[in-house]
Amino acid sequence: MEAITFLFDGFQTALQPHNLLFAFIGVLIGTAVGVLPGIGPMSGVALLIPVTASMTTGLDPAQAATSSIILLAGVYYGAMYGGSTTSILLNTPGESSSVVTTLDGYQMAKQGRAGSALAIAAIGSFVAGIVSLIALVLLAQPLSNLALKFGPAEYFSLMLLGLAAVSGLAGNSMTKAWMMTVFGLLLSTIGLDSVSGVARFTYDISVLYGGLEFLTVAVGLFALGEVFKAILHKEKNDGEIAKIGRIIPSKEDLKESAGPIARGSLLGFFVGVLPGAGATLASFFSYIVEKKLSQTPEKFGKGTIAGVAAPESANNAASGGAMIPLLTLGIPGSGTTAILMGALIMYNVQPGPLLFDEHPDVAWGLIASMFIGNIMLLILNMPLVKIFAKIIETPSKYLLPLIIAISIFGVYAVQVTTFDVLLLIAFGVFGYLLSSHDFPLAPLVLGLVLGPMIENNMRRALTSSNGDFMIFFEKPISLVLIIAAVLWVLVPLFMKLKGKNVVINEDM
Amino acid sequence: MKKWMSFIVMGVAMFVLSACGSSNVTKESNQHSNYPTKPIVFVAPSGAGGGWDLTARAVTKVLNETKLVKQTMTVENKPGGGGAVFMAEYATQDKNNDYKLFVSSPPIIINNLKAEGNSPFGYKDTTPLAQLTKDFGAIVVKADSKFQSLPQLIDEIKKKPKSVTIAGGSAPGSMDHLIAILPIYKSGIDPKIVKYVSYDGGGEAMAALLGGNADVIATDASSVEEYVKARKVRVLAVSAPERLGGNLKDVPTMKELGIDAEFTIWRGVFGAKQMSDDAKRFWEDTFKKLSEHEKWKEELTTQGWQPEYKGSDEFVQFLQEQEKLIRDMLKSLGMYK
Repeated sequence: MEAITFLFDGFQTALQPHNLLFAFIGVLIGTAVGVLPGIGPMSGVALLIPVTASMTTGLDPAQAATSSIILLAGVYYGAMYGGSTTSILLNTPGESSSVVTTLDGYQMAKQGRAGSALAIAAIGSFVAGIVSLIALVLLAQPLSNLALKFGPAEYFSLMLLGLAAVSGLAGNSMTKAWMMTVFGLLLSTIGLDSVSGVARFTYDISVLYGGLEFLTVAVGLFALGEVFKAILHKEKNDGEIAKIGRIIPSKEDLKESAGPIARGSLLGFFVGVLPGAGATLASFFSYIVEKKLSQTPEKFGKGTIAGVAAPESANNAASGGAMIPLLTLGIPGSGTTAILMGALIMYNVQPGPLLFDEHPDVAWGLIASMFIGNIMLLILNMPLVKIFAKIIETPSKYLLPLIIAISIFGVYAVQVTTFDVLLLIAFGVFGYLLSSHDFPLAPLVLGLVLGPMIENNMRRALTSSNGDFMIFFEKPISLVLIIAAVLWVLVPLFMKLKGKNVVINEDM
Repeated sequence: MKKWMSFIVMGVAMFVLSACGSSNVTKESNQHSNYPTKPIVFVAPSGAGGGWDLTARAVTKVLNETKLVKQTMTVENKPGGGGAVFMAEYATQDKNNDYKLFVSSPPIIINNLKAEGNSPFGYKDTTPLAQLTKDFGAIVVKADSKFQSLPQLIDEIKKKPKSVTIAGGSAPGSMDHLIAILPIYKSGIDPKIVKYVSYDGGGEAMAALLGGNADVIATDASSVEEYVKARKVRVLAVSAPERLGGNLKDVPTMKELGIDAEFTIWRGVFGAKQMSDDAKRFWEDTFKKLSEHEKWKEELTTQGWQPEYKGSDEFVQFLQEQEKLIRDMLKSLGMYK
C-alpha cells in the first residue's frame, strides 16, 4: 500500500524530537484552550500563528511549515478533548461542539459521576481521533470526491433529517420539543440573510446584522439558566455536595460506551468531511442516533454515559474528517480549518489538490503527528480528570458565582460587545423560565444551528433549479436522506396506531 | 539537538519581547512633533484569522521589527456586522483619537452604499492613510466547462440567463456578487437577470464549482491560483488593469476582451476623521517607508499578497472612483440604499 509507505515516512518526520515537542506544546495549549471558556479553538489557533512563526525561524521552510502545522493542528484537536470539561462540570459549554455534552454530562456530574464522564469523554475522543485518522489515511481521495457531490440539495435533505430527528432531544412532551425547535428556527432568521442579502429583524441595529451568536445563546440557556434555577429553587440538598466517585470508568460504563463511541466516531467523521456541516452537527446527530438506538432512551438527559460518549467521540472524529477537504481540496470546512489553511499558505504550502504531490513531507508528517498527538492527549487528560473532577466538590455558594463569572467572561472574550453579555443574561432568565416549565432547551439550540443551513441550502438549490422542487428528489443522495427523514417521523406514528407501545407523546 | 532548543528559547524570548514592546518614548528624529507618545491600537473589524486581521497583524509586526514605530502596537478584533459594528463606534466615539487605526477593504464602501445591512458610516467618516496591497476579481469555471471565454459566457447569460448559475462566497450586493456582475453590467446587460447563488465563503463556493453545483464562480484571483495549477479550473478573466503573473499569466483581463471593467480588491489603513495633522503626517510618512522596506516585501511574499502602495491623497481619489463604480452597479441591481 502506497499510503502506508508515505505514512511511515510521515512518522519519521513526526518522531523527530523537535516535532514531538511541537506536537506536545500544541496539544497542551489545545487542552487549555478547550477547558477555558472564551478562547475557542479558532481564536486559539489564530493567536498562535505569529508565535509559531517566530519559534520556527531558523528551520528550513519545509521543516518550519511541518513543525508549525503540527503545533497548530495539535491546538485544534486538543481543544476538542478539553471542550467537554466545562460542559460536564459546570453545564457551561466552552465550544459550540460540546453543547450536547451538557445534557447528560452535567447530570452525571450532579450524581457524583463527573470522573467517569470526563474519563469517558477523553477515551471516546481518543478512539474517535484514531478511527478518523485511519479513515483519513485510507479514504482521503474517494471521500473528498464524495464531499464535492454534496450540493445544496443534499445539504438541505441532510438538515431535514436532522430536524426530523429532533424527537430524540425531547423530554416528556413532543409538542413542547417541536415548539422549541420552531422557536430556535425563528431566532435563526435574525440577521443579514446570506442568500438574498436582505436584513431581517435587525431594525438597523448593526450588532444584529450577524444574527444571534450560537454560543451566547447556548451558554445563557444552559449555564446561567441552571444557576438561576439553583438559586431560586434553593434545593433542599443545600449542604450536600456531590461526591466524586471513582475516576476510572467501571466495566459497565465501558461496555455501555463502546457502541456509542464506535458509532459516534464513524458518524462524526463522515459529517466532518462535509464542508460547513462541522463538529457541532456531528455531536447533535450522534446523540440523537444513540438515543434512538438505545434500549433505555428514557435515561438520556438524566445522566447516561452513552450521552457523553457519543457526542464527544463525534466532535473529535469530525475534526479529523474536516482535514480531508482542507488537505485534498484546499476547502476549509470550518472557521478553525480556514485559519489552519492560512497558516499553511504563510509557509508557501498551499493545501489543495497538489498538496500530497508537492509537499508529501508536510501532509504525511501532519497526519502521523496527529496519531502521536492523540496518544499524548489521552495520557495528558486522564490525570487531569482527577484534578478537574474536584471542582464539582466546591460548595454551590462558591460554584454558582464562578459559573456566572466564567460565562460572562467567556462570552465577552469571544464577542467583545456588551450586547452579547446582555443577550447572555436575557437567555439565562429565559432558559430558567423554560426549563422550570419543562420545555426542553436542546431542540431550541438545534433549531438555531440548523435554521440557517436548512434555509440557505434550500434556497440555493431552488435558485439553481429555477424554482423546481424536484431537485430534492432527483438527486439520489438527497432522495435517500428525505426518505430517511420521512420514515423517522412516520414509523413511530404507525406503530402507535397499531397499538404498539412506543413513546411519541407521553404526557398528553 | 541543542540547535532546536535554542530556536525555541529564541522564539519564546522574541515573543515575550514583542509582547512587552518598547515602552521608552523616543522622538522620531525627522518629525517636529512628539507623536506618537502613547501605545497605538490597530483594529481588525472582524474576528481573528480573517484577511483584515492578518493584514493588521502583519503591518504591526513589520512596523515593530523595523523600528519604524517605536511605540507598542496592539491588534484588536472588533467583529460584527461585516465591520459595521466597529464603524458605528469608531465614527462616533473615536473621531479625534490619534491612537486608533484600522484596516479595511472594499466592503467599507459597499456596506455604506447598499440598502440592506447598511452601515451608516463609510470611508468618508475616516482619514484614509494608505493602500498597502491589491488583489483582483476572477471569473472562474471548471476545467471541463463548455465555457472557453468570457464573451461566450456573457453571450449565454444574455440568451438563456436561467441556464447559468454563478456562485460566490458572499451575499448578494456584496463583493463577490459585484465581481460576478461587473463584466455583465459593463457589457450593457441588465445584471438583475444573473442567477447568483451565495455561499458562506469562497471555499464553499469553490466546492460548489468543483462538485458541479455551480457553473461559474466569482472570487479573488489569488485564491484560485492553486486550482489553476492543478488543472481543476479555468479562469476566464481577471478584473486587473494588466495581466497577472504566475499561474494566471495566460488569463486575459476584462479590458483585453473589450469590456471596460476593472476592480481592485485593496487593503488599506485608515485613521480617525479628525486626526491631528501631526499624526496624519507621521502615518503617511511611516506607511510610505514601510511600503519600501525589504522586511515588508518579505512579509508580502510569505503571505502571498501583491504590493500596491498609495499615499493618503491618491488613495482618497481612488476610493472616490471605486465608490462611483460600486454605486452604479448597486443601482443597476436595485440594491442601492
